[in-house]
Amino acid sequence: MYSIFYKLVNKWGELLKKNKANANKGFGHKLISEFKMISKDPILLITIIAVIFSLFLFIILPLYHVLKQSLIDLDGNFSISGYITAFTSSSNFASIVNTLVLATIVGVIATIIGFVFAYAAAYIKMRGKKLFNLIAILPLISPPFAISISIIFMFGSRGLITHDLLGLNDFNIYGLTGLVLVQSLSFFPLAYLLLSGVLETIDPSMEEASQNLGGSRWNTFAKVTFPLAKPAIVNAFLLVFIKSIADFGNPIAIGGGYNTLAVQIYQQAIGNYDMAGAAALAVILLDISLIMFIVQKYYFENKSYVTVTGKSAKERLMIGEKHIRLPISMFCITASLIIIALYALIPLGSVVKLWGINYSLTFDHYIYVFSVGKKAILDTTIFAAIAAPITGIVGMIVAYLIVRKRFLGRTFVDFTSMLGIAIPGTVIGIGYILAFNSPPVVLTGTALILIIAFIARSVPVGIKSAVTTLQQIDPSIEEAAQDLGANSFKVFTTITLPMIKTAFLGGLIYSFIKSMTALSAVIFLISAKYNLMTIVILDQVEVGKFGTASAFSTVLIAIVYLAIFIMYRIVGLFGVSKKDIKLTKG
Amino acid sequence: MMMGANKALELKNISKMYNSVSNDKEFLAVDDISVSIKAGEFVTLLGPSGCGKTTTLRMLAGFEIPTEGDILLGGKKLNDIPANKRNTTMVFQSYALFPHYNIFDNIAYGLKIKKVPKHEIKDKVVKIIKLVGLENLEKRFPGQLSGGQQQRVALARSLVMEPDLLLFDEPLSNLDAKLRVYMRNEIKKIQRRLGLTSVFVTHDQAEALSLSDRIIIMNKGKIEQVGTPQEIYQYPKSEFVADFIGNANFVDGIIKEIGDEYITVDFLGSVTKIKNKGLADFKVNEEVKVVIRPEAINLKTDGNYNGKVTLSTFMGNTQEYSILLKGSTLFVEEPNPAGKTIYREDENVRFSIQEEGLHVVPKKINKRWGVKDDV
Repeated sequence: MYSIFYKLVNKWGELLKKNKANANKGFGHKLISEFKMISKDPILLITIIAVIFSLFLFIILPLYHVLKQSLIDLDGNFSISGYITAFTSSSNFASIVNTLVLATIVGVIATIIGFVFAYAAAYIKMRGKKLFNLIAILPLISPPFAISISIIFMFGSRGLITHDLLGLNDFNIYGLTGLVLVQSLSFFPLAYLLLSGVLETIDPSMEEASQNLGGSRWNTFAKVTFPLAKPAIVNAFLLVFIKSIADFGNPIAIGGGYNTLAVQIYQQAIGNYDMAGAAALAVILLDISLIMFIVQKYYFENKSYVTVTGKSAKERLMIGEKHIRLPISMFCITASLIIIALYALIPLGSVVKLWGINYSLTFDHYIYVFSVGKKAILDTTIFAAIAAPITGIVGMIVAYLIVRKRFLGRTFVDFTSMLGIAIPGTVIGIGYILAFNSPPVVLTGTALILIIAFIARSVPVGIKSAVTTLQQIDPSIEEAAQDLGANSFKVFTTITLPMIKTAFLGGLIYSFIKSMTALSAVIFLISAKYNLMTIVILDQVEVGKFGTASAFSTVLIAIVYLAIFIMYRIVGLFGVSKKDIKLTKG
Repeated sequence: MMMGANKALELKNISKMYNSVSNDKEFLAVDDISVSIKAGEFVTLLGPSGCGKTTTLRMLAGFEIPTEGDILLGGKKLNDIPANKRNTTMVFQSYALFPHYNIFDNIAYGLKIKKVPKHEIKDKVVKIIKLVGLENLEKRFPGQLSGGQQQRVALARSLVMEPDLLLFDEPLSNLDAKLRVYMRNEIKKIQRRLGLTSVFVTHDQAEALSLSDRIIIMNKGKIEQVGTPQEIYQYPKSEFVADFIGNANFVDGIIKEIGDEYITVDFLGSVTKIKNKGLADFKVNEEVKVVIRPEAINLKTDGNYNGKVTLSTFMGNTQEYSILLKGSTLFVEEPNPAGKTIYREDENVRFSIQEEGLHVVPKKINKRWGVKDDV
C-alpha cells in the first residue's frame, strides 16, 4: 500500500518537473516565434509600432504630464500642495462635491426616463416610436450645451414661461436645478439607447413562461424583466454618470455659481494660471471617471444575463392593455415633444431681435455670424473634415490589431484605446497644453493640435464599434485569405475593410459630428489664430448674446446635417444601406 | 489536372501549449505527437472536442505555432513560415467564403495574390469549377448559394492553388445528413483523382472510416492509435478507441490464460477464447474490459447466452434491443427485422456471440466518454 502511494507521489513530482520545464521553454520560445512571424510581415510590424507610439504620445504622455504637474509647486519642486488645496480650498472642494452630487442626481433621473422610453419602445403597443429615434440623435448633433440655451429661453429671467407666462421676475434657473434639468434631458437618450438594446434582446419566451405559470403583468415585470435588465440599468447609470462629470458646456452655460470640476479646472488653469492646482483637480476628475469606467467595464458588462446572439426570431407580443399603455405612451410622447420643442427654440431664437424683450423678426444674427464668425465656421468644418477620415482609418486598423493579431503590446493597445473613452475632455485638454508646449514636441497654437485632439477624442468610439463589428465576423474568413497567400496588409485591404465598411463609414460620420461639437478638450487648445465654433457660441452665451449663439448653433447643426446627408450619399455608392449605420450606438 | 508535386508530411514531437490569461496556467492542447504521412495519403484526425485535432491542423496551416517540435513538408521545415507563405490550403468548417466577392473571384483570390497571369487564372478557375460541379454559378455571391454549393466553392478555392498539402477542418459538419454523405463521396473521388496529400479533421467516425487511408485517433492531446479504418475498427488498442469508433458494449472480464493465438477470458459467466492480437501486455488474472460489437450478437433460440430484454426499439432497417444479463446491459442490433421474431420488453431471449466481434482491452479507471457519431 505504502509503495503504491510512494510511486504515485514520485510520478506526480516528475510530471510537475516536466511540465515546468516545458512551460519555461515554451513561453520564451513562443514569444520569439511570434516575433519572427511578425517581422516577416514588415507592414504589420511598422503599423504596430506606429500605433503603439501614437497611443503613447497622444494619450499616455499627456496624462503623465498632468500627473507630473499636479505634483510640483511653482518653483518646480515636488509638492502635494495642489492636492491639499483641492481638498482644503472651499471653492475647489465644493466643485468636487458639486460634481458628484450632480452626476448622481442626473444619473438616477436620466436612467429612469431612459428606462421608461426603452420599455415603451420594446414592450408597449403605441404610435410615435419614431420620435424616439429623433430625440436620441438630437443631443448628438447639437452643440454640447444646446439645451442650456433653450432652457434659458424658457426659464431664464426673461424666459417664455417664467417671465412672459408666469410673470416671475426673480426666477433663477442658473445653478443645480437648471443643470439637473439640462443634463437629464441631454443624457437620458444614452440610457435609452443602451437599455432598449438590452430589453429588445430579452427572449420573450421567458416572459411568456412567467405568464404561463400564472404571473401577472406586474409580476412578470418585477420578477423577470426587471431583474434581467438590472445589470444594464446600473450600466446606464454609470454611463450617464461619466458623461455628467465630464460635461463642460452645460455647467459653464447654466451652472451659475454651481461650479463642477470640469469648470473649476478650466478656471484654475486659464483664469488663475494655477497649473498645479488645475492638474491636481484634473487627476481627481480622471480618477473618478476611471473608477466608474472600470466598474462599468469589468463588472457589469460581463454580468449581463442577456445573450447577444442577434435578435430573437420570435416577435414579442406588445402590451396593449389601456391602463399600462396610456400612461407610458402619454409620458413618452409628451417628453419627446417637449425635447423637440426645446431644440426647435434654437433656430427660432436665432431669428428674433432680442429674446424676451423684442420678438421682431431679424437676420442680423446671421449677418454677424457669417461676417465675424466665418473663419471659425470654416476652420471647424475643415479640421473636422480632416480628422474624420483619419479617425475612421485609424479606428479600423487598431480594431483589426486588437481583435485579430497577437503581438507584444496588444494589451497596451487594447487598454489604452479603451481608456480614451473614459478620459474627460478637460483632462485631455490640459494634458495637451502641458505636453506639447515645450520641446521635443511643440504643437500648441497650431491647427494640428486641434485636429489631433479631434482624432484622440473620437477614435476610441470608432475603435470600439469596429471591434464589435469585427468580433461578429468569423475569423476564418481572414484566415482563409491568409491561407491563400495574402499577407496582413492584403488581408486587411481586400477582406477585412470591405466587410467592416459599415462600421468604417459610421465611424467617419461619428468622428465628424463629435469634432464639430467638441468643446471640453479643445477649449484649452484654441489660439488667436484658430478658434472653433462651439467656443465662439459659448463666448456669446457667456455675454448674454443668445441670439447670436442660437444663430451659430443653427449653422453648426445645419453643417452637421448636411455632412451626414453627403456621407450617406457616399455610403450609398459603397453599397451600404444607411439603415445599417448605427449613428446613435456608442 | 496538374497538381503540385505530392509531398510527404512529418510531425516530429509536436506540442502546443496555451497560456491561459485568466488563471496563469498553461494548457497542453497537443502533447508530444509524432506521425508520418506519405505523399498522396488521406489521413483523418479523429477525436472528441478538445482532443487537440484542430490545434494540430492549425499548426499545419500556420495559424498556430508549435511550442515544441518540427513540422516537415517534403523534408522542409515549416515551423517559422507564416501561413500565407506555405503552400497549404484549408477548407474551413464555416466555409469562410469572402461575402463581398462572387464565386469566380472567391476561387481566383489566391491566384490573384500570387499574380498569376489573368488568362491563366481564368483557365484554372473554369477547370476547377467544372471539377466540383459549379458551372453557371460564377457570378453569384456566397449568400445566394446553398450550403452544399458553398462547400464546393470552399473546396474549389483550396484546390485551385494546387497545394502541397490540403487541410480540412470538419468541412462537412454544417451540412444536413444526406448532403454530408454525398459531399463525403465527392471529396473522396476528387482527392483520389488528384492524389493530394490531405489531412482531414473530424469528430464523425463515419466520415473518418469512409474517407481515410489511415485514421489517427486523438484523445487529450495525445495519439491513441494510428491505423487503417479496418485496423482501427477490428483491432482497437484501448477502450477509448473501441468506444469512439463504431458501437461497442463493454463488459468486465478476467484473463484466465494467455496463449500465442488466443487469450482465454472469463466474462458474462462463461470462459471464452478471444484472438490474441498482441496489442497490449496482459497478465493472467488481470481485470480487463471485453469489447462486444453489437453486430456480433446473434439472437437465436439455441444460443448459449440467456438474457432479458429491457428495451426493444424498431428502427426500420434494424431492431435494437437492450438485453440484461449478469448485471450487464448489452446493446444489440438485429438487421432486417421484417419476418423475424420481435422480442418485447421483459421477454427472455437466447443469443450467441461471434468471436470476430470480441476484443480485449486494458481496463481504465477513468473512462472518458467521447463524442459519438454526430451529436
